[in-house]
Amino acid sequence: MQLVRRFLPLVIGIYLLLFFGPLAGFDFFRIVGEIYNKPSLLLQQLINGLANGSIVAIVALGYTLVYGIIELVNFAHGDVFMLGAFMALTVIGATGVTETSTASEKLTAALLAGAAAIIFCGVINVIIERFAYRRLRNAPRLAPLISAIGVSFIVQNIGLFWGGLRSFFPIMGVNSAAPKAFPDLIGRVDVFKDWFGLDLPITLSTKELMVIVVAAALMVGLRLLVQYTKIGKAMRATAENRDAAKIMGIDIDRVISFTFLLGGALAGAAGLMFGLYNNTVVFTMGFTGGLRAFTSAVLGGIGNITGAMFGGILIGLLAAFSDQYFSSRWTNAWVFAILVTVMVFRPTGLMGENVGQKA
Amino acid sequence: MEKYRTAITIGLVGAAITLLFGGWSMILVGTVVGAITGLNYGQHSAKRGALDKAREVLLPALIGNIIMGLGGTLYTFVVVPLTGKSLNYDQPLKLGTGRVPLDSIAVFIIGLAAGIAIGVAVAALIAYLQGLPENVRRVAFIASLIVFLFGLPFFDQVTGLDWIAAIITIQIFILLALGLNIVVGYAGLLDLGYAAFFAIGAYTTGLLSSPQIDIYWNFWLVIWVAAAMAAFAGLVLGAPTLPLRGDYLAIVTLGFGEIIPVVFRNLISVKLVEPFTRICFVGCDPKVDVVRWCIYACQGALDLTAGEKGINPIGRPMIPFTDELLFSSRSYLPWYFLVFGLIVLSIFFIRRLRNSRIGRAWMAIREDELAASQMGIDPVKTKLLAFSMGATFSGFAGAFYGSYISAIFPSVFDFSVSVIILCMVILGGLGNMVGVIIGGILIMGTDRLFLPQIATLLKDFMRHSVLGNVSNPVLKDFLEISVDPNQMRLAIFGLVLVIMMVVRPEGLVPSEERRAELHEGEEEHGDAATEAAA
Repeated sequence: MQLVRRFLPLVIGIYLLLFFGPLAGFDFFRIVGEIYNKPSLLLQQLINGLANGSIVAIVALGYTLVYGIIELVNFAHGDVFMLGAFMALTVIGATGVTETSTASEKLTAALLAGAAAIIFCGVINVIIERFAYRRLRNAPRLAPLISAIGVSFIVQNIGLFWGGLRSFFPIMGVNSAAPKAFPDLIGRVDVFKDWFGLDLPITLSTKELMVIVVAAALMVGLRLLVQYTKIGKAMRATAENRDAAKIMGIDIDRVISFTFLLGGALAGAAGLMFGLYNNTVVFTMGFTGGLRAFTSAVLGGIGNITGAMFGGILIGLLAAFSDQYFSSRWTNAWVFAILVTVMVFRPTGLMGENVGQKA
Repeated sequence: MEKYRTAITIGLVGAAITLLFGGWSMILVGTVVGAITGLNYGQHSAKRGALDKAREVLLPALIGNIIMGLGGTLYTFVVVPLTGKSLNYDQPLKLGTGRVPLDSIAVFIIGLAAGIAIGVAVAALIAYLQGLPENVRRVAFIASLIVFLFGLPFFDQVTGLDWIAAIITIQIFILLALGLNIVVGYAGLLDLGYAAFFAIGAYTTGLLSSPQIDIYWNFWLVIWVAAAMAAFAGLVLGAPTLPLRGDYLAIVTLGFGEIIPVVFRNLISVKLVEPFTRICFVGCDPKVDVVRWCIYACQGALDLTAGEKGINPIGRPMIPFTDELLFSSRSYLPWYFLVFGLIVLSIFFIRRLRNSRIGRAWMAIREDELAASQMGIDPVKTKLLAFSMGATFSGFAGAFYGSYISAIFPSVFDFSVSVIILCMVILGGLGNMVGVIIGGILIMGTDRLFLPQIATLLKDFMRHSVLGNVSNPVLKDFLEISVDPNQMRLAIFGLVLVIMMVVRPEGLVPSEERRAELHEGEEEHGDAATEAAA
């Protein structure tokens, strides 16, 4: 009886999912059949998902860092990521590098764009914190969230305006709201086949390799910074207990500013990587991308750096799986369904410790 | 000078509007400026007698209205020539069916004189009413408000001001904001997915009275069904969020708000089959659907929402027992009065709700959930009721919207709509209906009236006076495409949110309790600081 009571909701839930799932592309039996017929496609999607998930994870780190330190859902973070992509695009356009340039030119342009995007986004994020959040630090909890939504709209609109500056940056294209083509600086060389001479049914291109390697490097770097440097220690102390940290002589404002700088820099790097990997940027990508990243941060346990990385990769895999087997039109709905489910049933996420809700 | 400061401020705001529209708008703006001045000075006047109050307001009202008139003067003699419009550009008078073109100078003179005269008279009247006993005053206020609101569309039609379409949209959004105010203002639950209920109301109407699935119900029935569906959705979506508080709740409602439009966008091939009877166990081709127990749409997948193309056309309201087509897309007046009636009805209901046991329970939950539940308030029931009551009114709005536009698209209900409605509630003042209505007029007025007008004027100005003198091609191109206030609308809403939160979180017209609550934290903090210093 106990057993029945415990598992009955689960069984009913699964049955309902099987019943209504096909409406939203989740047709379990068809998907099993497709995977059985062509398993290499699943592996291919794993690689794509890993690459996309790495970018999501980098953006998610920004959410989790800020939430960890001032318990604010920094809604504008996704849009800062979008600005990073626009900055990178602008710089690449200014250098005049195209897909036919030499490898060293491309590398220089990409590095320049990366540096510009990282600095720009970091500074923007610090400015946002200074003007929109700092004064609300002791206000009721919802005030900074609403302020953050406002900032998100402003930043999104800046992106729209920027995208319309075709007179100064011809690379922006004719229409300000339309997606912009991002030059393909890396190219698609199959690593397995061309570098190792292996003939596999799946491909790992240089693009994916670049994204995964850079993302891994950034994550390891962040981990080291938070764990072993003085400012990282100050960040952890502030996250633990702001007042106590203050008494210990930590300059709270500086630590929070630094956290925003760090988050913004990561968003800038992610923006460049997104552009190089997907070869298209649009001013609304901050909103959807940001929500995806936020979902991964929540999935991994918000405030937890390792959790955000795994959450991001999980969401990337899920999105790739959904694009392939459900239907790409439904992917966003599935991601948000995960967000809602995790928040309702396990607000601490998969790896978060129980911090309790503070309303 | 100090005495006239309020009047001058009000006059300046009026001048900003008449600077954009000129001519006839001065009469309308003059009336509003007069009313606000009368209200303000009548309330703060030290004099007791009604006539004394009226006499005292005359001079400030005159000053305010003259300042207002300056805007219209600038419009006629500076803006019109600079934008290169002909003199009788937008000044026809519609008498009967014919249009009588008038010279813009004549319109200016009539508008200015009538605006100032009516403005001062209205100010005196309102101030006079302030001096009357309480019960007479209430009735007189409501009566004058009703006269104004009834006269507005006729005035708009006669003078050819053409604000009516924008005004109807403003009214729809006010209805939505009133509903959201229940959830956010009274119950204190931040709902970032409110547009979802609006969508549910609209799509219910769309499905039940359109050729989409061949059902044509009467609008007067559908509007209640739509409200009920929205309320039901409020219950269903509200239930899982109950254990959550604060920002987590906000994010979950945001998630729902994002899912609903995706669902409506993609319900284009619907077919329900019992899953297990479909499995093919032995010896059959898995690609062929072995359907044994089909539930819905067995003849072939059904297109419920037509995806991005939207449901179109949607049925219009009919007057019972007649065949007359009063509600059509050509005449705005019936729609204006219909949505006006909906708003009045909603205000009536919401007022009763707020002052009832339920309303007090909402506010108790908002102030302190733990204490409220100790006092015997059931938080689950109360919160669910707040969600579903709030959703009900957006169901009304959705049904009206669907029928009014006669076509609905999923892209209308995205996140920005939720935020715009939230913006209205926050700008006006959380938990205060008057504030919410004012916030709605300000935000949507900016969005639908002022910004488009600024954009048109600016574009004409560029074309007529600037572009010809610019030789640099890059700069010319920039001025031509990037100077467009219409593109900046989201940034304006964002700015409103940030500025309100940082400077005045209680809104323009705050409710007393809410103000006390929002400033409590600051004082506590201040106290702690002084204690620490001591």
